[in-house]
Amino acid sequence: MNARRHFALAIAMLFALTLAACVSVLGFPRTGTSHPFEHRAHVDKGIPCVVCHEGVEHAGDTSPLHLPTDAQCRGCHSKPHNEGSCRGCHGEASMREGASLAREHLRFEHAKHDPVVHGDCVRCHSAVAESRPQTLLPQMATCFSCHQHEDQWNLRGCDSCHVDLTADDAPPSSHVVHDGDWIREHGVRAGSERDLCSTCHSERSCAKCHGVGTVPALPAKMAFDDVRLEGLHRAGFRARHALEARADPGLCTTCHSESSCVECHTASHVSPQGTTRSPHAVGWVSVGRGGGEHGVQARIDPVSCASCHGGSGEQLCVGCHAVGSPGGSPHGPGFTSNKNRTHDMPCRLCHGTGP
Amino acid sequence: MAAWLLSARAGADPLRLRADAVADTQTETQSPTGLVVLQGEDKLRPWLGVEGLVWTGTKPGLTGDVLVLALHMREPHGYGELRVGRFVVATGAIFPVQIDGAEAIGRTPWGSTLEAFGGAPVVPRFGARTYDWLAGVRVAQHVASTVTMGVSYMQRRDDGEISNEELGADFAAAPAPWLDVAAKGAYDLTSPGIADGRVSAATRVDAYRFELFASEQSPGRLLPATSLFSVLGDFPSEMIGGTVRWAAAPRLDVLASGAGQLVGAELGMNAWIRSTLRFDEHGKGSIGLEVRRVDVSAARWTGFRVVGMQPLGGGFRFSSELEVAVPDDPNGRGVAWPWGLAALGWRSKGWEVAGAIEAASTPEYRYEANALARLSRTLELP
Repeated sequence: MNARRHFALAIAMLFALTLAACVSVLGFPRTGTSHPFEHRAHVDKGIPCVVCHEGVEHAGDTSPLHLPTDAQCRGCHSKPHNEGSCRGCHGEASMREGASLAREHLRFEHAKHDPVVHGDCVRCHSAVAESRPQTLLPQMATCFSCHQHEDQWNLRGCDSCHVDLTADDAPPSSHVVHDGDWIREHGVRAGSERDLCSTCHSERSCAKCHGVGTVPALPAKMAFDDVRLEGLHRAGFRARHALEARADPGLCTTCHSESSCVECHTASHVSPQGTTRSPHAVGWVSVGRGGGEHGVQARIDPVSCASCHGGSGEQLCVGCHAVGSPGGSPHGPGFTSNKNRTHDMPCRLCHGTGP
Repeated sequence: MAAWLLSARAGADPLRLRADAVADTQTETQSPTGLVVLQGEDKLRPWLGVEGLVWTGTKPGLTGDVLVLALHMREPHGYGELRVGRFVVATGAIFPVQIDGAEAIGRTPWGSTLEAFGGAPVVPRFGARTYDWLAGVRVAQHVASTVTMGVSYMQRRDDGEISNEELGADFAAAPAPWLDVAAKGAYDLTSPGIADGRVSAATRVDAYRFELFASEQSPGRLLPATSLFSVLGDFPSEMIGGTVRWAAAPRLDVLASGAGQLVGAELGMNAWIRSTLRFDEHGKGSIGLEVRRVDVSAARWTGFRVVGMQPLGGGFRFSSELEVAVPDDPNGRGVAWPWGLAALGWRSKGWEVAGAIEAASTPEYRYEANALARLSRTLELP
């Protein structure tokens, strides 16, 4: 019993130690080190922002950040509790870096905004009232609350605020965030806003995946050492590509042409061209209702059939399915077409006098 | 022309060039070895830009292609845009297609947009077809910066005959900062029926993001209507599911997705969960775990994946990736298909060098090992 209790205690201690280690590994702030600057305490005491951020009200687009120096802090805090730099503990490096990046990538002039808000900085920097703000940078929606940017949004005129979105290559933090399973989701999101996408993404962004004959430039191929990149073709995709294709019929030809399949399958000797080795199981084609498994599978994933039997290979089907032939009609229930059955392709292959 | 271009460089943004040379030892793949990729972009004027991406490889044979070669003009106030050259058209409910042609966009300050495009669909490796062209148009309206609605039409001809004719509609709305909704659908006019339909709704609540999605896709839509396989009256592939993203800790994200699928008369599912732990604020070092289960029609498999990356100092970075796919029915092709990669990269002042060893056991080969190398140079010319 004792042994069992000691074992449980040891496990509990190990678990507690692991949790304690994870607190810092997971990014939770440690106590005793830097923390967000106590903006709220200063605001509560009614200290104007410009007392510390001296001159910021006159700052232009390329002015320095006007972050307070130790001397400015000690102007009020005449008896500091140690001789170290104030910003070593008060304020987080990541927030200062964020402000620096915003200065670099955004066009913004405090000098133009200060008179409009009559020195009320909180109007935009509302997060100073929070006890542990993630950032003090205003969200884009805050800009929109005053500026009638609807015209610029409609006209995709982002350059008036953003320096160079295409070159920045920085994911947005507060709007059109690429969150969740973005590879699947981006298609439906981009449908209505393709030109919005192009304000940040170059032509290459689309073409690297959606271009015909794109294989060499696929991000997964070029950046094989950046394992953070998501993508359909990462890791052992070549081994599992048949399973991936079957799980989502038609997905492959969203980007690839049928010839991509034919070229590779021919080289690998898994296509009818140039080999007698068939990838199909015995009984794949049988006479009778539905023509056996091949009839069902062809209607589930016709693209898969076309990837080997497309082009001139279609004659293989015509041999059995031409009007009057033993294969019967290959059309499924409810099939309709606006084509002329005797003149248009592919109808004339079976209904007409040939190609 | 050259003088005009050179004079235009004064005060323009820098010319950005990147060259990548990739070599690998793979023998049985369509991917070229000895690959060189050149890409560049230049904003000659604020309203005029050019962009290109070309590649050349040495296998199979000496081959190459142009992925992008486009001239982009923009009316300074955003009222119009023109793209000419080779690029991907992806707008509205029309599925992406790469063309040699032109696209023009006209906009009004009250949110109306008219897009028109036309050209010849690209044939890989500088191939050409006769009487093969497509043209399309999309009309859209923005409402109060939160709603966009559009209607699109495209007709494509192959050897003079209609190979694709679709009417589409798309919709996107962000009625609240925490809610996004988007939908699009395309109707096949050649063989009347729904070709493609997709809906997505996402919401954010504190550290969570939830998304519900549904789609219906006719696989035959992706075939030209001149193909015999487009007249089978295919079964639509239907999917409905959801995704949850949880920012479990400042450096730990968990993403999970599950969906039910109906393919023909068969009901299936696919689900996966992925977690990523970053070692620093910027995620330069991280480790990720993923488990996946697919059980759809003839595709039944379970997958495991682990990825890790860690900066080593001095511009060096080590990364590693391991995946194991376990098919339910291996059919004599191996019980599991493991794949692993270990890579070392170095980056400094516009230069990038990376090398990797890749090893796998695949349905084709019981054992396979490859070496990969890449040398990249990025330049910004004033």
